[in-house]
Amino acid sequence: MEVFLMTLTTGIMVGGIYALIALGWVLIYKCSGVLNLAMGELTLIGAYVSLSFYSMGVPFLLSLLFSLIIGFVLGVLTERIFLDRLIGEPILSVIMVTVGLSFFFKGIVELIWGTDTRVFTPPVFPLEPIHIGPLIIGQVYLWSFVAAILLLVIFVGFFQYTRWGLAMQATADDEMAALSLGVSARFVYATAWAIAFMAAGVGGTLLGNINGLNISVGYLGLLVLPAVVLGGLNSVPGAIMGGIIIGVLQNLAGAYLDKYFPGGVKEIAPFVFMVIFLLFKPYGLWGWERIERV
Amino acid sequence: MSTTFLPCSVYHENYTQDHAWWQTRFVKGKMILLLVLLFVVIPPFADAYVMSVCNQIGYTILGALGVQLLIGYCGQVTLGHAAFLAVGAYTSTLFVLEFPWPKFLVDWGLAYPISIIFAAVVAGLWSVLFGLPSAKVKGFYLILTTMAAQFVTVDFVIAQYVSKIGGRGQAFSLPPGTIKIGPWVIDSDRKVYFMMLVLVILCVIGLANLLRSRAGRAWVAIRDNDISAEVMGINVVKYKLLAFFVAGFIGGIAGAFWISNLAAISYEHFPWFWSLWLVGVILIGGVGSIHGAIFGAIFMVVVMEGLQLAVMPLADTYPKLLIDFLFIKEAAFGLAICAFLIFEPNGLAYRWWQIKNYFNLWPFSY
Repeated sequence: MEVFLMTLTTGIMVGGIYALIALGWVLIYKCSGVLNLAMGELTLIGAYVSLSFYSMGVPFLLSLLFSLIIGFVLGVLTERIFLDRLIGEPILSVIMVTVGLSFFFKGIVELIWGTDTRVFTPPVFPLEPIHIGPLIIGQVYLWSFVAAILLLVIFVGFFQYTRWGLAMQATADDEMAALSLGVSARFVYATAWAIAFMAAGVGGTLLGNINGLNISVGYLGLLVLPAVVLGGLNSVPGAIMGGIIIGVLQNLAGAYLDKYFPGGVKEIAPFVFMVIFLLFKPYGLWGWERIERV
Repeated sequence: MSTTFLPCSVYHENYTQDHAWWQTRFVKGKMILLLVLLFVVIPPFADAYVMSVCNQIGYTILGALGVQLLIGYCGQVTLGHAAFLAVGAYTSTLFVLEFPWPKFLVDWGLAYPISIIFAAVVAGLWSVLFGLPSAKVKGFYLILTTMAAQFVTVDFVIAQYVSKIGGRGQAFSLPPGTIKIGPWVIDSDRKVYFMMLVLVILCVIGLANLLRSRAGRAWVAIRDNDISAEVMGINVVKYKLLAFFVAGFIGGIAGAFWISNLAAISYEHFPWFWSLWLVGVILIGGVGSIHGAIFGAIFMVVVMEGLQLAVMPLADTYPKLLIDFLFIKEAAFGLAICAFLIFEPNGLAYRWWQIKNYFNLWPFSY
């Protein structure tokens, strides 16, 4: 029972980070209809940028801020240079451009930072775990979770209450109507990419704090795909729930299924679960059902 | 892409002519010339390096054909094709190494050819297994299930279980002499080259003929609009699964062929990168034509080798470049995909089609 509770809490904590990255993904999809497969590399870039600043002796929060700024710039640039020209193209082209982008980013990241695992030195979060009742939780997990939730709240607040956020919501809801009301769609697309970059960067930084940073963190960023499918592609609450569910499932699979299927069951469990889930609920938990007509 | 226009003053008078494989005598002569070039002219002049590049092109073509069928003709986007290549390669290897072959079959050199066919069938069935979700989901969701195919097959089933069969650890090495077709032991790039040519030609002919049959037309109908296809009386699920089977079949052949070129086979030869690479190849070559797979494969392999040749001389001054080349390659590949999709969305095959038509219609290009 204790093991179960421990895995559950760890899962929820890691899931919070996935939820943050998934939020960025859903945002891009909602606003511009781009299905982004480069999310893993987006997490990598942000994580490496903040790691570099941190290694240079910049305080952690400040380096996180720098990575947010650089993420913003990169997001706007990416949208302007690559995605802007593809509005209205077939879905496969757009998806494959994001795949191309993922290779491009990954190559650049490996070129600049190499493939060795790097850790945040000195550790950002204290190493000794916290005891909450019978549970023992690493402080990294706890603080990451807190940070992720904090950012989630900030982002959601941004959508609900600011002028820009409302413009983005309007575009996501009905692009034509938003355009006729004077919302600049191009601005919204660029902002969506910028926010996705920023969210992924923070998520990557937090993930990098847990286990050290190398290319495989990009794979963790890929886990947002099962998460968003679970929640429904165009639902922000769905993405958050999906992220947490995937985090929990992944850790439960690692704890319980590893006995029966030794090896990397933890890595593939989310994907297997996603395929099975898709067969029964193709539009996720809260996604819009699309009714097709000829 | 529509069919090529006939040259001026060539008319068809009956359907047999219209259905003919080679439409004009010129085309026939051209193809025979190409065969002579490939089989007779190139081998004596090419050194081992050129041969190995050619083999790589052939392998890429074989892999990309299946992707082309699924994406270009049936509209089922797949990002996990390397999994089926891996299944083919591992099935063939295991079959050759572990199966209790009767002595005479090994002596006659039939073990490997039989294992290729067996591997192709197994890869096809494995592909159908992961194509099953296509009955219910499509578009982006299908992409995710094919991605799952890649991770489940290569990173889990093969890496964790299949690799451990026979207690060999991570890699399966193939003792020299095991890859044998009839009296020929496939042990040099030159021999692999001939085998590659035969396999590529067989697969291209087979696929091209399939595409002008009922199945091919059904696939195109599903690609263009699956609901209309169903209304027209096409069993959508059946033909989708058939497409997955054929794609996996060709992928299996590709994988089984590639072990002849590798001294040892490991799951690291079939990463997710390779799946995406194959999709990139058909995007650059042109989606929806067999030419596309071939042109794309030639283009990508030649450009990457060229890049390597360009980088190598610099390696003396910057030794780090040798290590970094893999990353440069990745970045260049990504940029190439983006550039082609933005500036040349129809791919190289479209240019080829334009050139052909220009000459066919010359001097009256209307």
